[in-house]
Amino acid sequence: MTPAPTTDNPFAGDNSGIQKRETAARWALRIGSHIVVFTTLAIMLHIFVKGAPVVFQSKWPFVNTQFLTKLPATLHVIEDKQGHRIETDVNGADAVKKKLGDDFRSEKTVSYSGGGILGPIVGTALLVVVSVGVALFLGVACAIYLSEYAKHGKFLETVRLAILNLAGVPSVVFGLFGLGAFVLTAPVFVDVPADRSVLAIPLGFTTLSFEGWDTCVLSGGFTLAFVILPVIITASEQCLQAVPQGFRETSMALGATRWQTIRYSVLPFATPGILTSSILGIARAAGETAPIMFTAALAFKDKLPWQKDMPPLPTDASIFAHWEQSVERFLGIFTESVQALPYHIYTIAAKIPQNEYSERAQYGSVFVFLVLVASLATSSILLRKRLRAKYRW
Amino acid sequence: MSADSPAIATPPPVVQVRDMDFCYGASQALFDINLKVEYHRVTALIGPSGCGKSTLLRCVNRMNDRVTGARVTKGEVLVKGKNIHHADVDLTQLRKQVGMVFQKSNPFPKSIYENVAYGLRIHGEKSKSVLDEAVERSLTHAALWEELKDRLHANALALSGGQQQRLCIARAIATLPDVLLMDEPCSALDPISTLKIEELMHQLAKEFTVVIVTHNMQQAVRVSDYTAFLHLGKLVEFAPTEELFTNPREKLTEAYLRGTFS
Repeated sequence: MTPAPTTDNPFAGDNSGIQKRETAARWALRIGSHIVVFTTLAIMLHIFVKGAPVVFQSKWPFVNTQFLTKLPATLHVIEDKQGHRIETDVNGADAVKKKLGDDFRSEKTVSYSGGGILGPIVGTALLVVVSVGVALFLGVACAIYLSEYAKHGKFLETVRLAILNLAGVPSVVFGLFGLGAFVLTAPVFVDVPADRSVLAIPLGFTTLSFEGWDTCVLSGGFTLAFVILPVIITASEQCLQAVPQGFRETSMALGATRWQTIRYSVLPFATPGILTSSILGIARAAGETAPIMFTAALAFKDKLPWQKDMPPLPTDASIFAHWEQSVERFLGIFTESVQALPYHIYTIAAKIPQNEYSERAQYGSVFVFLVLVASLATSSILLRKRLRAKYRW
Repeated sequence: MSADSPAIATPPPVVQVRDMDFCYGASQALFDINLKVEYHRVTALIGPSGCGKSTLLRCVNRMNDRVTGARVTKGEVLVKGKNIHHADVDLTQLRKQVGMVFQKSNPFPKSIYENVAYGLRIHGEKSKSVLDEAVERSLTHAALWEELKDRLHANALALSGGQQQRLCIARAIATLPDVLLMDEPCSALDPISTLKIEELMHQLAKEFTVVIVTHNMQQAVRVSDYTAFLHLGKLVEFAPTEELFTNPREKLTEAYLRGTFS
């Protein structure tokens, strides 16, 4: 129904259904997007409010160094008859009990809630280094092949489809794949193959045995590499495609081979972008839980990967005199299983009884984790912005 | 269809195309092309858009190899008397001797020096003195040396459009090619930059042999000694420029020059 015009404005709104629907649509969309923003902010704020006090403190050095530099430990809470509660670790518990004497009323232990989270931080860092190293090598090689060498056609389409599908595989499936491929069957050089070896090839001086790498950083890192491979391949390919075709034509017209062209006039201009995108891969690799559950991560470990029961190096000589041992020790880091932040969070949030003492470690870990991932993502964005300004053609 | 009869003392043409058919996949782009390019002459290829003049140009340094399904189906292309599709021809060596300048100026986002030295570097030249000399020589040939000698290590992208295109010419002639192919080198430039490059072409012809594709007939008149007119993939007429423009033998050429295509 159009009401009769009361003024002589020929463009006055007529309050028709069209306008009402317009208003309704606008509000529905607005509310939807506000819900998303609000939820995100609420989560961030909650973790910040609860987690920041664990990590930061009002006194110098303003950061809770204990939390960032100690391994996770069991928290002992001892209560005296007056109801005072004293928090201590396993070593301090006896002393406190002795001091309290008859005043001692009860002792309570909370797993993993004492100490700090150095173990998980170190483990995640190692896993990220291995996975990004492997994924960058494989991913960039694959992207270069797809973008520069492969002929357009059915094969290329199939490979692209496969990569997209790989991105859609549930992460727990990657975990199982890693368990089967790296933990149980990957090849190692050993003198005596284990009974479970799938295939043992004698090489004379040693044996190449397909008996797996066991749960360790290497297995977990390789598994994570396959998780982030689709991201890296897709991003690298886009970066390569963004390099003007004219550079390739010119280079080849000057007599360069395909590899020379890639090496000197494509890769240098794509590398910044590839590295930027790979930072996002780092964030993804650091955050995955399922792929490392079966392949690398332990719920608890009271040693860092380099703290192993090994005969100490002779102190008299420089480290270069025993470089073989040093190298062996260094490589040994990667054959250790580790704790990792996401799995640690899962453990302390879901696997131990909840009380007011377990909360501290939970929020602290999540806060540290979130800050790490967020800073990686931010640096990636900043880097990209700077590089965009630098490389314009 | 060559205009001049071969004299006894003249050297063989630097580029010779014989009875060539060329296809992109199933569609044929060039039909039975015959063309001779003489040393130290500027040869222009003219014709309407899509007539195959760029394709013909790119046959000479086999740049069409990059296009999937593109191939010569009949005839041959000879450069300095050698069939460039023969199995023992190394593409890198061929392209070292047949340089190319593209329609869009595309210097690498590197220094001016590195742009010019690129061709020599990929062919393994490491000596600084040789590179320095080549850079100076090439920039001088491209009429850029005086303008740029004090900022050889500035980024090439900071140059103006006309300078960038002349830098591309310098880059292409740094390897001392016999033939310089130019694919509409002035189509993206302003009239003054165009004029500079046209002046340059006469100079370049003293050292090299130039084949230029152009859609600008006036440019062909100004710069070239010989002109080939292509239409729908066929070479309609090939003659000394003056002859072709003043006294075309073919009706089609005349119609195109008058701007009255039926």
